[in-house]
Amino acid sequence: MRLPRFQYLEPRELEEALEMRDLYGARSAVLAGGTDLLVRMKQRLMGPAFLISLRNLKELVGIRMEGKELVIGAGTPLQEVSRSPLVQHHFPALAEAVQAVGAYSIQQVRGTIGGNLCQDTRCLFYNQSAFWRSGRQACHKAGGKICYAREGSDRCRSTNQSDGATALMALQARVTLRNSQGHRDLSLEELFTMKGETPLDLAPNEILTQIRLPMERPGRASTYERIAYRSAIDFPVASAAVWLESERGTVSKARIAVGCMGNAPLLILQAGESLEGRPLEDTQALAKAARIAMDQASAFAVENVGATVEYRVEMVSVLVERALHRAAARAAEAKGKEHA
Amino acid sequence: MSRVPLSIKVNGEELELMVEPHWTLLEVLREELDLTGTKEGCGEGVCGACTVLLEGEPIRACLTLALEVQGMSVTTVEGLAGEKTLDPLQESFIRHGAVQCGFCTPGMIMAAKALLLKNPCPQEEEIRRAISGNICRCTGYAKIVEAIAAAAPQCNSSIRGPLQGPGEEPT
Repeated sequence: MRLPRFQYLEPRELEEALEMRDLYGARSAVLAGGTDLLVRMKQRLMGPAFLISLRNLKELVGIRMEGKELVIGAGTPLQEVSRSPLVQHHFPALAEAVQAVGAYSIQQVRGTIGGNLCQDTRCLFYNQSAFWRSGRQACHKAGGKICYAREGSDRCRSTNQSDGATALMALQARVTLRNSQGHRDLSLEELFTMKGETPLDLAPNEILTQIRLPMERPGRASTYERIAYRSAIDFPVASAAVWLESERGTVSKARIAVGCMGNAPLLILQAGESLEGRPLEDTQALAKAARIAMDQASAFAVENVGATVEYRVEMVSVLVERALHRAAARAAEAKGKEHA
Repeated sequence: MSRVPLSIKVNGEELELMVEPHWTLLEVLREELDLTGTKEGCGEGVCGACTVLLEGEPIRACLTLALEVQGMSVTTVEGLAGEKTLDPLQESFIRHGAVQCGFCTPGMIMAAKALLLKNPCPQEEEIRRAISGNICRCTGYAKIVEAIAAAAPQCNSSIRGPLQGPGEEPT
């Protein structure tokens, strides 16, 4: 498959890249690892006139502590994230999620955490070759007025299948978006628009530069679970990330994020709240939270990423429960160590 | 649109090429350099047939713009064999019958090479993980895993196929 023609730009520093974004705006795209973007370009889902390569921008690569935050450069390769002792120790959900992306020999080496977070939403009726799509009218995401995933839908129902985004949502990540004038600082809830057509609140003159995570304390734990047809080179059909904070063996706060169901990872507040004040070993409470997550997520899912929607919804409850069990054990263990 | 210069080292040879910005590394290897050992399977990063080594790390040549590897060193399957001898990994693939139609083989060998460069004594689990990004539709992978394990004969691998029975001399 051939790529369409474009002009290749290689800025030497971030300021230069931002000037190019200012100048070319929506006619430009940002090239990081390319494992998602180039596929979309080959399928003619995108045809930017200008590709701005980030390969010389070393300031976008790296993981470091800054005050009470862990700052991950958006251009950091996935394997560097999953191998980072800081990430493994404090944010195991992120390490687990990033490790599950693609396969080691490709996406892990070339793919970046920023690219993983910003990957476009997907749909079986959209992510196809130009020839395949030429047999039908354009859908909402392709600029038309039809949805093939849900009959009669007045908007795009494409699905966010990013592993990284789901984990980062549970971990309360924030992102920094830069433009030539300044920057915006958004939570993930703000970054995702919940619109399938334009899933990210990322302006054509902006570049995602940083992902920031509030530093963890003992008693907090996180995990990530997913189900895919094959363990490598495949997007998940259902996923869940959970984050627990505990005090004296009792859950004080919980964040439960469900992936692959909506246009964005879904933060199920009610499921998290149902755990507050419950002992870590209260398995019934964990199961109940998982059912709440499943019920709420089921409103979003449509049949557009492979497995049947009934199966995927059912798996939300299974995955959330598994993730909660592991996180509760992790939190209890961390607490034990602290007292020892 | 005009061609732009690309300096690249392929299989140890420094090259100065003129390429179109939209060419992938795979297109440059196969069509400009006639290194057709590297295959194009899916062209979208799913099958692994186009795996080559970039500075020793396995990458998808079909999803890598040629200009993105400016000044870097690329190894393709053609770069493994000596003038008269094959790489031990290639010998092992032949001995173990790890090749059927052969289309996935160059990518499989490069993914395995990347593993052995870093980890000369991999466990079966590590071998399977290393080639998890490479699809083979013929062999069922068992022979391939055996062949990779046998390419590291000094390691007393626990992965044994019929060719590695007790008493057999490692090659």
